[in-house]
Amino acid sequence: MGRPVLDNETWHFKLKSLREEISELSDRSEMKLRHAMVCSSNQNRSMEAHWLLKREGFDVASYGTGQHVKLPGPSLREPNVYDFGTPYKQMFDDLRRKDPELYRRNGILPMLKRNLSVKTAPQRWQENAADGTFDVVLTFEEKVFDMVLEDLHNRKHVLLKPVLVINLEVKDNHEEAAIGGRLALQLCQEIEAAGNWEECVDDLIMNFERQNHRKLVYSISYY
Amino acid sequence: MARDQALSLLAAANNHGDLAVKLSSLKQAKDILFSVEPSQAAELFSYLAELQSSPEPLVRKYLLEVIDDAGAKGSEHLVILFPVLLTFLKDNNPIVATQSIITGTKIFSSVLEELALQFQRRGIVQRWLEELWTGLIKFRDAVLGIIFEAGPIGPKLLSIKFLETFILCFTLDSTEFDMCNPEVIARQGSMFNVSWIADSHPILNPHALMSDANRHLEILLEILLSASKLPGCMTITAVNSLVAIARKRPVYYKTVLKALLDFSPSIEMAKGRHTVSIQYSLRTAFLGFLRCTHPIMTESREKLLKELRAMNAGDAADQVIRQMDKIMRNNERASRELQFSKDDQLSSQLHISGELTKKRTAQLDNENQNNIFEASSKKSRHGPHNSKTTTASDAKQDHVNGISAKPPVLDGDLTPVEQMIAMIGALIAEGERGVESLEILISNIHADLLADIVITNMKHLPKNPPPLTRYGNLSLNHPSDTSDPAQVVGSNGFATSTQSLDHLAQLPASSLSTTSGAVSDTFATANLSTDSKRDPRRDPRRLDPRRLVAPTDMSQTYVVEENVGTVQHPTVEPDFNPVSSSSVLLSAPQSVPEFAPQPLPTIETDINLPDSPMTIEVDEPIQKYEVHDFDANVITPDKDANNYLHLSPSSGKEEDVVSPASMDLAMLDEAYSPSSEASDELPPDIPNVEASESASAELPVLPLYIELDEDHQIRARRLALERIINKYQNSQRTDIKQTQIALVARLFAQIDVSDVIEMAQKLIISDYEEQKGHELVLHILYHLHSLVISDSASSAAAVYENFLLGVAKSLLVDLPASNKSFSRLLGEVPNIPDSVLGMLDDMCTKSHSGADGRDGDRVTQGLGAVWSLILSRPFIRQACLDIALKCTVHPKDDIQAKAIRLVSNKLYAVSYISNSIEQFAKNMFLSAVDQHSSDALLSESAISDRRIGGQVEGAETSTSGSQVSEPEISPDETMKGVLDDSSNIFSQAHRHMSLFFALCAKKPVLLQLVFDSYTRSSKAVKQAVHRHITVLMRALGSSYSDLLHIISNPPQGSEDLLTQVLHLLSEGRAPPTDLVVTVKHLYETRLKDATILIPILSAFSRDEVLPIFPRLVQLPLPKFQMALAHILQGSAHTGPALTPVEVLVAIHDISPERDSLPLKKITDTCSACFEQRTVFTQQVLAKALNQMVDRTPLPLLFMRTVIQAIDAFPSLVDFVMDILSKLVNRQVWRMPKQWVGFLKCISQTQPHSFKVLLQLPSPQLESALSKYPNLRGPLAAYTNQSSIKTSVPRTTLVLLGLASETQMQQPHAVSSLHASDGPTST
Repeated sequence: MGRPVLDNETWHFKLKSLREEISELSDRSEMKLRHAMVCSSNQNRSMEAHWLLKREGFDVASYGTGQHVKLPGPSLREPNVYDFGTPYKQMFDDLRRKDPELYRRNGILPMLKRNLSVKTAPQRWQENAADGTFDVVLTFEEKVFDMVLEDLHNRKHVLLKPVLVINLEVKDNHEEAAIGGRLALQLCQEIEAAGNWEECVDDLIMNFERQNHRKLVYSISYY
Repeated sequence: MARDQALSLLAAANNHGDLAVKLSSLKQAKDILFSVEPSQAAELFSYLAELQSSPEPLVRKYLLEVIDDAGAKGSEHLVILFPVLLTFLKDNNPIVATQSIITGTKIFSSVLEELALQFQRRGIVQRWLEELWTGLIKFRDAVLGIIFEAGPIGPKLLSIKFLETFILCFTLDSTEFDMCNPEVIARQGSMFNVSWIADSHPILNPHALMSDANRHLEILLEILLSASKLPGCMTITAVNSLVAIARKRPVYYKTVLKALLDFSPSIEMAKGRHTVSIQYSLRTAFLGFLRCTHPIMTESREKLLKELRAMNAGDAADQVIRQMDKIMRNNERASRELQFSKDDQLSSQLHISGELTKKRTAQLDNENQNNIFEASSKKSRHGPHNSKTTTASDAKQDHVNGISAKPPVLDGDLTPVEQMIAMIGALIAEGERGVESLEILISNIHADLLADIVITNMKHLPKNPPPLTRYGNLSLNHPSDTSDPAQVVGSNGFATSTQSLDHLAQLPASSLSTTSGAVSDTFATANLSTDSKRDPRRDPRRLDPRRLVAPTDMSQTYVVEENVGTVQHPTVEPDFNPVSSSSVLLSAPQSVPEFAPQPLPTIETDINLPDSPMTIEVDEPIQKYEVHDFDANVITPDKDANNYLHLSPSSGKEEDVVSPASMDLAMLDEAYSPSSEASDELPPDIPNVEASESASAELPVLPLYIELDEDHQIRARRLALERIINKYQNSQRTDIKQTQIALVARLFAQIDVSDVIEMAQKLIISDYEEQKGHELVLHILYHLHSLVISDSASSAAAVYENFLLGVAKSLLVDLPASNKSFSRLLGEVPNIPDSVLGMLDDMCTKSHSGADGRDGDRVTQGLGAVWSLILSRPFIRQACLDIALKCTVHPKDDIQAKAIRLVSNKLYAVSYISNSIEQFAKNMFLSAVDQHSSDALLSESAISDRRIGGQVEGAETSTSGSQVSEPEISPDETMKGVLDDSSNIFSQAHRHMSLFFALCAKKPVLLQLVFDSYTRSSKAVKQAVHRHITVLMRALGSSYSDLLHIISNPPQGSEDLLTQVLHLLSEGRAPPTDLVVTVKHLYETRLKDATILIPILSAFSRDEVLPIFPRLVQLPLPKFQMALAHILQGSAHTGPALTPVEVLVAIHDISPERDSLPLKKITDTCSACFEQRTVFTQQVLAKALNQMVDRTPLPLLFMRTVIQAIDAFPSLVDFVMDILSKLVNRQVWRMPKQWVGFLKCISQTQPHSFKVLLQLPSPQLESALSKYPNLRGPLAAYTNQSSIKTSVPRTTLVLLGLASETQMQQPHAVSSLHASDGPTST
């Protein structure tokens, strides 16, 4: 009755893999969170944050909420418009062909180069249902924040898994994006360190605001 | 077997020391549990449930996962496991507690579903489900408890979510209204709803549950009330849940909205919570509501908007509304298209009404029966507004007898405007189906194009006045001269859709007339939506009671409802009075009393017009009317008619036509008896007449159409234009201005009367400050230009030119020179004709009236304009550049200076024109150098001058004649004067070179040309060059380095220039090293002229100067003196290269033979030095002589210098005597050349020199005395003095006759002679 079900060798092998699984499990209990960085075109702000968080070992993805991916063009009225899913590499080649000097000068080419080292192509938030659930969603613009919330609201809440959505307002230029990326990293670190964010989200947000002189807005939704 | 295994695994999971083993065992046990037979499983599951007390949170959590699985599988063993959930709710690990709520909620939903379905299908409910349900009720109560109990927040958030689920489950679903997004609905699928529960359900009592739901909602609301005590994230979650409930269950919407609205102020007092986020959750909530199309929510739109604006979220709100409008339109269109693809057009009418009915039934419970009339009333409301438009656009629709909708054929050759019209026509022909597309199409048409369309369409206005006016069926029937029956027939075109729905349903035949009504409806919709898009808030129509039903409003049905009472009446009436049109007409105004005052003023003024025929001033009421009903299509015809009345009181016929019409309108309020004529003229189609009449209750006055002859047309147009422009100034409203601009532009194109141009100019200029004038001008110009392009034969080109010229001139005359409007105008107009360029040229090259002292400013302004044109308009770049370049050689200094500054500083830097500038400058420079060609060049420019000037004058006479300028001096005269004498040659050369030298300052390499052509230049030209180069070099300053190349290789004959350049370069400072090196190299290799070294001599060291010193001496004396100055000046670092003493010595060191210098040159140089007494002082001379006297051989000029020294400075005599003594010791007599000088010096310096003389040996003394016999006497006398005589050798005494021959042999004299004998070697 007390006889082991498996022979010893298999048993030990299984145990080993289980230990790994447990350490993973306990990691999860230490709130190894999944993060999503969202801006409108999934190019600058969200990608800067994505890149930084990825470098720091975070579980992170990034998205845009716009209809299309828009990059500055020769003038305000002539932006370069791509569909989500168009590889960064392709945009890079396209713009380099159009006006290498201009796009190097305005930082678009370097940005695309950075992006294509992070992931293949910009992704649209509204079409990310297959990417699984996130624990923390960081948006970088009020409009994006609204759209993410509206989208989450319209999804069917099956898992009942809470998701914290925070908006950190960041201007859409390279300098601000760099600052915003660092702030995003810091914020995510603090959230992760806090354990259960539910318990302290108000304090956390307010402390962050005080330290960094930034205004945040957060909301809670469910998967 | 399986059971044993499972038990052992469970035991391990419970008791094993290693967590890994525990979990692994549990996992395996689970697999077994779900696969064993149900009979065995029950026991095992109870063992499993024991794990709930496991100390490991991970194990407990895993247990929850097992339960979750069981729930998902719908396993009946859930009953055994479920109590675990209840326990876990209170678990000290918040994750476990949270997870248990999640699992519980899921189970709750699935169990409910199962309960309902099982009963539905089988009529019974299984026992285990019943038990489970009891457990779930307990679970629910426990969860509710969690919300307000102290404890971790995570579970509380989930509790709120559970509440939401509960409420949603037990309220009636009416999701069909939550049409936020069709996508969403598709995605959501169906969820359990209380309606699934049959009334007779044994366990579930739907009514009780629904009231439970109500109670639970109150709990949620309670959370809001106690928000100040709860953490922020709970409040936010509660708000979000409430919003979700309200959006999915509109029954609760009002309650929730009220709670949220009440809640917002209380947020302020929150502490320790992130209030911004809470506030934002409200904002999100309201925005979410705005996104919903449920009628209840759209009803509260205003309230939401107000609240959102208060939160500074107005923009976001507006955006959402726009979005929703778009989605709505698309949805509707999509649904329509879907339906119409199935049905044919005729039946579609019925279909729509069916659709409407269907929609209504959905809301039947809370809507009243008025709905029946909604559709019809809506149409009757919109129809009239745009009956004119219908006429206007239905081009060939003269007999618009309802059968109107003949689609104009689309033609490939049509202009865009015509194509557009054709397209609109086609859409209209589609009837109801085309409405949406048409609306979208029109809303996308640019205002300009729309104006074009309307204007173009005016061609198609019916020949006769469109008869259907607000009350105006009368007028149409009335006119006595209704010789043209078509006029009357035309009226039926406006048969609007007042047939109520029952009509429609019964009489499919009449549906066509309804269609035309729908068309006009569309137009109203389209126009309104276009306009209100610009700025919905400022749209004055919102204030207009007639416009209450803005089609842009989302829920038309709802708003329309308000007016149903009013409109319904006339709508129904025709049914009872099918024949007597007059009675309807009489009753119509009464039944719609609130509308009556509105149109009346308009009508009255119409009548007034003929009374004061000559008052062109705009009458206020009309204005008002226009503003109210502002549509591009309204204004123009209206005005044409009115103005025409003013203008032609004489043309009786037209007046006849018009005035009765107006009179009729005026008589409206009086009892009116329909004339028999009118009824005679009534068209046979009676139903249509009815319709139109009943609709006319609210129809606005239609403009009367009058055929005008050419002359009158022009006048009418002019007056129309005048009025618009006049009003334009006063109007503050930008949206109106936009349209006005477009209209003015078009009217302008049709009028080629020059005084209108003048008038427009004045007004435009007066408004130019506010930039609106500018916009208007550009609009006009662009329009004219487009005409020119489309039809090269048209007169538009001339109008364009005249107008542009006129405006430009007025700008110049009326605005200060500092105003940028002029150049802005030129920069933005579509095309710049030659005459304008001529004017620009004039402006730059000739001074204007002169008296006001603004000439200079004008030139600056002109050049500024030229500059910006060069940069911004490639096509006339060359022409403008020519103007600028011409100015650079202008005889007037200030013009030239300004132009040169512009060209060299600004334009030359522009890469694409720098070459031509350079070329021009070169040409001018060369022309100055080679006099002969300059004549040709000048005369050439004079010719072009004349040409352009002539054009300008021509243009002036043809336009207003406002004077810009008169040419002061004709270029030919200037030219003649220039060539008169050499000073003029100089000044001309100087002028022509100025630009080139200015360019040189930017690009010193160009100087090569100056050097190259220097040789062949005349003297005057050289002079000019020198003067320029002086300025240039000073300007160049340290950036001379580009010149080194030229310096290192100067062309033959340019030495003077080179020297000057070098001088200028080293002027006032130490010559730079690289320059020194270059010049030295040049001197050593090519140019053996020491002159070029002079400027850099100060940088030379002693060792460098000395070798070239003879070459310097060789130079003409003035140059040498300059060189000397440089040498003595030296550099600041090293001090002077040579001291004056050294200079003197150096001069004396020059050997005529060796250095091949004439002796004369050296002596002259020496003398020159002596002249500079301040430099070559007594001490300097003494020192130099002292040095030289010891030289062997003595410098050739030594004695000469000594003599000169004593001449210059007599006080040096003692010093000189010492020198002479030394010479005696050196046996000067052996140096024949010196000896002569020596003796001369002795002779000149007697009696001081006697002492030296006496030192000479006797033979030399003798020869000296023989040479200068006059010395003998004084010398003898001197020697005879007792004190001296004793020391004088006897031979000397003998020689002097002071002693006898015998006494001559004196030993000491011999010895002294010996002493001085040795070193002599001459």
